[in-house]
Amino acid sequence: MKLIYTDSLVVGAGLAGLRVAIASKERGLDTVVLSLIPAKRSHSAAAQGGMQASLGNTVKGMGDDEDVHFQDTVKGSDWGCDQEVARMFAHCAPKAVRELANWGVPWTRVTKGPREVVVNAQKVTIEEAEAAHGLINARDFGGTKKWRTCYTADGTGHSLLYAVDNKAISLDIPVHERIEALALIHDGTRCHGVVARCLITGELRAYIAKSTTIATGGYGRIYEVSTNAIICEGIGQALALETGVAKLGNMEAVQFHPTAIVPVGILTTEGCRGDGGLLRDKDGHRFMPDYEPEKKELASRDVVSRRMTEHIRKGQGVDSPYGPHLWLDITLLGRKHVETNLREVKEICENFLGIDPAKDWIPVRPTQHYSMGGIRTDATGQSPQLKGLFSVGEAACWDMHGFNRLGGNSLAETVVGGMIIGKYVADFCQQNTLEINTALVEKFVNQVRSEIDDLVEGQGSESAFDIKLEMQRIMMDYVGIFRNGPELQKAVDELQALLLRSRNIGLTCKKRHANPELVEALRVKRMLKVALTVACGAEARTESRGAHAREDFPQRNDKEWLNRTLSSWPSADATLPVLDYEQLDVMKMELPPGYRGYGINNAIAHPDTEKREQQISEILSQLPDDADRYARQHALMPFEVPPSLQEKNERLHDKSLSNRAQLGDEAK
Amino acid sequence: MSQGRTLTFNIFRYDPQEPGDKPKMVKYQLEEAPGMTVFIALNMLREKQDPSLQFDFVCRAGICGSCAMVINGYPTLACRTLTSKYPKGEITLMPLPGFELIGDLSVNTGKFMRELAERLKLWLHPRQDEIDIHRIEAPMAPEEAAKLYELDRCVECGVCVSACATKQMRDTFVGAVGMMKIARFELDSRDARSVEDFYHVIGNQDGVFGCMTLLGCQDNCPKDLPHMQQIAYLRRKMAGALV
Amino acid sequence: MSLTRHNSKLSGWLDLSQSLTGVILTLFLWTHLLLVSSILLGGDAMTLVAKTMELSFLSADGHGYPWVVTIIAVVVAVLALIHVLVAVHKMPLNLAQQRALRKQMTVISHGDTKLWVWQAITGVGIFLLLPVHLWLIGSAPETIGPIGSADRIWNQGVWMVYLPLLLCVELHAAIGLYRVAIKWGAEKALNHRARIKKIKTIVSVVFVVIGIASLLAFLPYASQ
Repeated sequence: MKLIYTDSLVVGAGLAGLRVAIASKERGLDTVVLSLIPAKRSHSAAAQGGMQASLGNTVKGMGDDEDVHFQDTVKGSDWGCDQEVARMFAHCAPKAVRELANWGVPWTRVTKGPREVVVNAQKVTIEEAEAAHGLINARDFGGTKKWRTCYTADGTGHSLLYAVDNKAISLDIPVHERIEALALIHDGTRCHGVVARCLITGELRAYIAKSTTIATGGYGRIYEVSTNAIICEGIGQALALETGVAKLGNMEAVQFHPTAIVPVGILTTEGCRGDGGLLRDKDGHRFMPDYEPEKKELASRDVVSRRMTEHIRKGQGVDSPYGPHLWLDITLLGRKHVETNLREVKEICENFLGIDPAKDWIPVRPTQHYSMGGIRTDATGQSPQLKGLFSVGEAACWDMHGFNRLGGNSLAETVVGGMIIGKYVADFCQQNTLEINTALVEKFVNQVRSEIDDLVEGQGSESAFDIKLEMQRIMMDYVGIFRNGPELQKAVDELQALLLRSRNIGLTCKKRHANPELVEALRVKRMLKVALTVACGAEARTESRGAHAREDFPQRNDKEWLNRTLSSWPSADATLPVLDYEQLDVMKMELPPGYRGYGINNAIAHPDTEKREQQISEILSQLPDDADRYARQHALMPFEVPPSLQEKNERLHDKSLSNRAQLGDEAK
Repeated sequence: MSQGRTLTFNIFRYDPQEPGDKPKMVKYQLEEAPGMTVFIALNMLREKQDPSLQFDFVCRAGICGSCAMVINGYPTLACRTLTSKYPKGEITLMPLPGFELIGDLSVNTGKFMRELAERLKLWLHPRQDEIDIHRIEAPMAPEEAAKLYELDRCVECGVCVSACATKQMRDTFVGAVGMMKIARFELDSRDARSVEDFYHVIGNQDGVFGCMTLLGCQDNCPKDLPHMQQIAYLRRKMAGALV
Repeated sequence: MSLTRHNSKLSGWLDLSQSLTGVILTLFLWTHLLLVSSILLGGDAMTLVAKTMELSFLSADGHGYPWVVTIIAVVVAVLALIHVLVAVHKMPLNLAQQRALRKQMTVISHGDTKLWVWQAITGVGIFLLLPVHLWLIGSAPETIGPIGSADRIWNQGVWMVYLPLLLCVELHAAIGLYRVAIKWGAEKALNHRARIKKIKTIVSVVFVVIGIASLLAFLPYASQ
């Protein structure tokens, strides 16, 4: 048995994982990162559009600050998020952007003077300030009041991932590539590391660590068509789930992106619509204004996806051999814009569709895109149930997204969450000792070994590939954009049956080293459990909130459902997760539940909402007249971030104010 | 477009870890589907015909650079190669030459790229290590940012390395990917390194002076990066440092 | 430290000198061929050229100094030697390198790499044939006129050297010059690679044609 000891173990080498590893290493901790693939191939690279941070440099971002970003995020989440976490996030996002600039990210910059942009299908000229010249630019994204999405052309995720991985290389952080974690080592209260398998040699290793951070991304691949990379299979969530101790949060909260190309499901960035692209139906009609007259194409993602599905159901979709779709029209942006700012989109259209998006419309439809749910953590990123287990990024339910994530907030979460949680992970490693219980380690290694033995030597007859496809189809058919009780029940039943069948998987390729079939078998068994948490959570939640839309319960029901679904897996033999709920306390919210601004306001109010609103106006009225926005915020909902991140963010706007104040002083 | 025709795949098979296994070409046949890519085809082959077939895909959208392989004599990204591109319906797949072979079509490009980055110190060496992240960032010329992003688009797929005869002959040669990245940091006004510093790293036979300008890199790069321009630029810059 | 630094400077100079000697030799080659092709205008024209080469206009008796030709031959030899010594560094010298190259070229088809292989092959050809040519001329500088040349080429059978040398050298030089343009990358050259490549091919063909025509043009003088 090969044992590897370290202080801070990180599973997953995408942006979030690497950022935590860097934070650990900077504290002088021994750090090891495990990854299925080379770090720079992680799915973070696919985030094209950008990351939200309220820098407020561009003229269309003037007046932006943490408060506006916070409000957008909470509204976007349909009040499902943890507001303190959303505050921590909004506060640290500008810091992360500025830090990344020093690590090499070539953020697109503001050019002073007039600039032509497309807003609401009209060409508009905006005038950028002299003082903003060369500062980090931002573009418009759905669900935001201001232009806040910082970007590098259309390869933001790519350039961030490369800069952060380069930083990790410069710090000499080892990334063990082609290593797959298969079980967490834990004693019921504390996590001690993972059992992992080398995908090349098949060797089993135990990584023993003070802290174990899961940053393995989402679980999109439990769906047949997803914009996610094919490695986003929810194995990180399954690792936590299989402990029987750690819990997953809001697994039913699954986002569908409005514009993935048909049929392959590759994403075209929200930047297409942010920059002025339109959605059209089979008659070429721009239909979004009919449904959402105010926000139109730039309504929140869940809203646009549902409206598109509605419109297709009305028979307005374009027929194709792969089912109906709609059109995304970016031709009005002009060739130059498409070829510079949306080049990845252009490449994708050329390579996978054989069309020229500067001239042709792009066939799109809503497609699984993001997992708001994940390993439930507290505000420091640690599992409340299993000490020493941390999670960050899409893998986690840190919960700044609630039931719907805003475009540009996921990439932001990876580096901002990584920055914050990285510091808490480092604190944890410094405050705790390495506990080594070889008997415990051996127990977990043996479990994995016998699982592999059973697969390779056993008499199982089921095909891992077939079971996976069936699971993916069930999720597509019954746990999609619009959901209802009977279908969800069907999904639960069928997934349960599949889980039983998965215990009888047999392999035709008996190799113990590099064996893709073995990898598939090990994964599908875990994915099924994750899929069941999604289906069960969705079945139980009899309301509609954010991306979770129940046809049989179309109202948001704050009275009964202002809570977070927690799922755990009771025992190895179980075939269903156990659900329980964590209430969101309205009396602690800075922004009590309200109207999100889409469709009709039909939410069933929480009894505390009115009380809290009253309390808020009282608190604010008691503040001195000169209380600034920070003081007002603090009075309503104090939040904590690590000391080195507490300072206020400076903005161009503040700077001109303070300059003016200084001048005023001198005049006196 | 021809639909429903039968495609013939000739695939390089070899498992270096299997005792006694020898490299060989194996023929597979598959019904073509509309819009089929080599990614889709390989997965179908693995699922239906041979579960031991090894290959690497991650994003399957031409973004991550995992799936470079040699398709009918041209190294490229398999995920975005449509099978309809081959009118004869014969497709030969070989692993990228010049990398450690993991098995079949899977090669260890990740290890290569990490070692290269460590050797050439391919990261930004900022002028100040610590910046005040709470204050307004230092401005940068918008044109410079745009230019840097152009060079930052490399996905480390390894195509330039495999397409470079110089690299194949001389293992220590840094290849286009190394030079492109050096050029990217050389152009970055935030980087503190001087021309001499860069000279020290690539002003030699393994670097810019060992390149024979065969342009396999330029002609095969799936991201159409300007290798030719950048390497020429570096060479002039380094030659300038001679005198 | 100082040693590696020195070494790394050296490789820079080597690379530069390969390009430089290549360009000079190419320019010389083309000039040389144009001068020789004066035979196409007749024996008198060529005699005039040959005499001018020998700097006859400087000598009182109008016979010139044939040793000038020897000196040119020596200079060309030295340049060529430098060029070879530097270039040889980049050739696949050992078996492992040759094997790697062959493997790569069978797996991946790439035009410019094939061009380079042709350049290497023609380089070897030049390496074998050029010394013969230089020796013949350098050791008998007074025979570069039409009669002497014709005698050498056709009566003494040196065409068997000149014809392959002509083919090798014209291919090698044009490909080389194309590569130098791309290698050092004048911005315009880079933007017009395809066009340069076409020019390169045309230049090769034109000079080969001129060369062969000149060789044939010597035939009548050989029988005199």
